[in-house]
Amino acid sequence: MWESCTDIACGNIFALLNEGPLTLTIFLHTVIVLPMFFIYFQEKKRVNEEAR
Amino acid sequence: MSKKNASVWTSIRFWRRSAAWVTGTATVLLIWLTFNTMGQISMGSDADLANGVKKRIPAPTVINYHIDYVMDQKRGHEVPVIGQKEPFFGKQWSAEEAAALLHHGKLTSQAKNCMNCHTLLGNGAYYAPDLTKAWLDPRWEDGTMAAITGKNSKEEAMAEFLMHPSQYPTHARMMPNLNITQDEAVALVAFLKHMSSIDTNGFPRNFSQNAKRLEGGTNAH
Ligand code: HEC
Repeated sequence: MWESCTDIACGNIFALLNEGPLTLTIFLHTVIVLPMFFIYFQEKKRVNEEAR
Repeated sequence: MSKKNASVWTSIRFWRRSAAWVTGTATVLLIWLTFNTMGQISMGSDADLANGVKKRIPAPTVINYHIDYVMDQKRGHEVPVIGQKEPFFGKQWSAEEAAALLHHGKLTSQAKNCMNCHTLLGNGAYYAPDLTKAWLDPRWEDGTMAAITGKNSKEEAMAEFLMHPSQYPTHARMMPNLNITQDEAVALVAFLKHMSSIDTNGFPRNFSQNAKRLEGGTNAH
């Protein structure tokens, strides 16, 4: 399942992220989605404070 | 004072921040990827070739070297391997000469619209064989085409074929005569030889096998 890098560009960050199934996709989604939870809770707090 | 629990989903600010974050990150990533790719696909130098430094796209002077197409077990496909020096049309080409020749070949390929029938690196039409690895087609390598065209070297045979393709039909479909001159033919062969040295991660898939199976014919059905 886990393929070692076979490209000639091994060592390149995008080649590393392409070594396993869906690794690039999962990485990008994690990087993009996690901060969105932060945005959500920050906004939640602000909305609640304004409603008080 | 009652403790309110207002909804975030109706907050415009929340949606605006989310959209800005996603769009902004995607933009930065794509710009990064673009520059990263540009580094990957930039041509190597003559010195890289001399020192055996592997580049995805070798310098134009790669036409001075023998190019092999070898199965790489680890990568699971064939890769071009740049070998010993060999004369190209009877001589070694300097970096300037090779670059000018390749440029001429590229312009000719555009002027004569090879892509109208062939694919180059996968782009083009599916009437005739993909030309990415045409230089490495076993038919040229094993001397079949040299024998058919009565030439002593692979490059001369290919140039002869390009100048009079309809005289040497090898496949059900015939390549028409495109009025290619001797100079243009030499430049086109250089262009094809250089292209075959590009590491395309195994594209087109199973080239040598298919080339044998289809008798130098086309991958396009
Ligand atoms: C009108 C369509 C057409 C155009 C335009 C065309 N070709 Fe071809 N070409 C063919 C066909 C069909 C074949 C297969 C002929 C055969 O095998 O006899 C072929 C075969 C070839 C081959 C041999 C392929 C191999 O793997 O051995 C080469 C090399 C080639 N063409 C180069 C070129 C170049 C370079 C150009 C542009 C200057 C070009 N062709 C333009 C139709 C075309």
